[in-house]
Amino acid sequence: MKKVIFSTIFILILATSLVKNSTKEIEDKTFTINENIRSLKSELGDVLLEYNYLSSPNKLTQYQTQYFEKNLIKIDVTKIKKLNKKNSQIKISDFIEKTR
Amino acid sequence: MSDKNDNVTLEEYENEFSYKKSKTNLNIEFNRIAFIFFIFLVISIIYSIQLLNLGSLKIKSETKPPITKKNYRADIVDRNGNYLVKTVSSIDIGINPIEVIDKKRLLINLQLIFPNKDYTKISSKLEKNKYFYLEKKISADNYEKIMLLGDKSIKSEEKLTRIYPQKNLFSHIIGQIDDDNEGISGLEKSFDEKLKKIKKPLQLTVDTDIQFLIREELIKFHSVFRSKGSTAILMNVNNGAIISMVSYPDFDLNLRETVSDVNFINRATKGVYELGSVFKTFTIAAGLEEGLIETDTKFLNLEKRLKCGKNIISEYDKKIPSDLTTEQILIRSGNIGSVRIGQKLEIDKLKSFLEKIGVLSKIDFDIEEVGEPIPFKWGKCKLATVSFGHGITTTPLQLAKGYAIIANGGFAIKPSLIKKTSENDKIKKRIIKEGVSKKINQILRKIVTTKEGTAGLANIEGYEVGGKTGTAEKAIIGGYTRKAKVNTFASIFPTSKPKYVMIVLLDEPKTSEDYIYKYKNKTGSYKGTPFNTAGWTSVEVAGKIIQRIGPILATKYIEN
Repeated sequence: MKKVIFSTIFILILATSLVKNSTKEIEDKTFTINENIRSLKSELGDVLLEYNYLSSPNKLTQYQTQYFEKNLIKIDVTKIKKLNKKNSQIKISDFIEKTR
Repeated sequence: MSDKNDNVTLEEYENEFSYKKSKTNLNIEFNRIAFIFFIFLVISIIYSIQLLNLGSLKIKSETKPPITKKNYRADIVDRNGNYLVKTVSSIDIGINPIEVIDKKRLLINLQLIFPNKDYTKISSKLEKNKYFYLEKKISADNYEKIMLLGDKSIKSEEKLTRIYPQKNLFSHIIGQIDDDNEGISGLEKSFDEKLKKIKKPLQLTVDTDIQFLIREELIKFHSVFRSKGSTAILMNVNNGAIISMVSYPDFDLNLRETVSDVNFINRATKGVYELGSVFKTFTIAAGLEEGLIETDTKFLNLEKRLKCGKNIISEYDKKIPSDLTTEQILIRSGNIGSVRIGQKLEIDKLKSFLEKIGVLSKIDFDIEEVGEPIPFKWGKCKLATVSFGHGITTTPLQLAKGYAIIANGGFAIKPSLIKKTSENDKIKKRIIKEGVSKKINQILRKIVTTKEGTAGLANIEGYEVGGKTGTAEKAIIGGYTRKAKVNTFASIFPTSKPKYVMIVLLDEPKTSEDYIYKYKNKTGSYKGTPFNTAGWTSVEVAGKIIQRIGPILATKYIEN
């Protein structure tokens, strides 16, 4: 009986050890990946900051006047159309209904 | 003693202590060895599987996010995830004069790296033998160059700094931080603790593109009407989400200047103004709420002038008819008619309605820079003046809140700059009776579409704009001055199912001689501002803003 208990405990500990060791390997991999992600996130943050600055409305209008001869035009919302495709037929309707 | 009795009986001696390998004894020995072996095995296994947590703790300490870093602050993004504020690490270069070996040589070397610095000042600082900063937020190139000098007296300090890619655009909303990275104004102050703790960026409700377009229009009309300042608020009437909040003049946050000029205050939240006729909407809404009036209730024989104590209340429009319905009173902005409705309501009902929509007391908002409406004592004359928006003050933000509640069907909202989950938006508490909104919205639309209305310049096709104008003279000691006005336009759109409220306020605008107005309700144009009223100033600004932001609102926020 005692032998059974001892051997069970031993097997359990051995199994736990093996599982834990394999978990540790996964943990190590996760840690490495997390570290890589962290540096990539930081890089992405810097790139996004640069993108947000360069594509900010202020910068875009500045580029527009600097590089393009034509002025930007205002969109008349009543001229925006909706395309609805139904049974291979395209129906065009006003995006916004004309008001009183 | 007989021999018989001396018989000795010899018995075979059996040694009871003779060594025998009993089964039990053998087991004890085996178990001892096994036990010791087992203990060693367990210890080695425990160690190997790191039940002592040594390895795990090590990993945990390494994987901790940079939150534990001193001076950490979370970034702030707009509703579309664009950076409004980003924390980046920077290096400050300081010099400890005590450690300088050759001052002349150091100065020559520094001049090569930083040719534009004032070296007489630096030289005098070196003489003082006190540590000083040579360059804050040094560039990577210059950092490399200065470190290559190998001078022990040059010290580098890594610091975290805030970058504002949108410069002035959100200056009043975001606010400033001091050198110790403590928030001193705006969201940086009110969310100081949260920004130091949260891992993800703080997401706001504002939209950068819309904010830019509104600010651009305010700047344009700032020079047209030569106003002291201006503000505009665009808010979702259904959840109180502020899409844009601009106060002009503003400042560039990247410059980290101390702003002491009161003209730079956040007019949207901190400015407390007497807003005039925009309050008439509240008086009429209160009357409808109490069931004392209907939109077609007639008010006959309205006087052109009323005297209440020292005050004389008169009509701005001298041609206004003496008989008006409730609807006409609001469309034509009748002062005397509004007074009559106020008198019908009496103090308690009007006061309670104004309290309910949150225009009388200080608003609980996301930033601390909020103004407190000036308290006053209610009386008969006060009731009369409050009915048409005089003798009562509030902030543009509270005005936006009041109009939003009236427009959204009568549901309570809390203006907010912080984006919330959609679940939170679903909880709605009705504070105004059903039906009041619809009636008011229809009248507000007529103010923009009809000839008698005061806001025809805001009739932009496609957006169903409705709204009320307010022209108020500024209070001075002993009365009011005609020279300084506050012109406001409170608008909602689309009036058939309101989604947005927009307030445009111009602080002390002047008439323009050259500006060309293009009529919206009829063909033709008009040169020069005929009257310094909201209808000719703030309404024009609001119209131009709606024309520019409308396509974005209509297409981008169609799902919201």
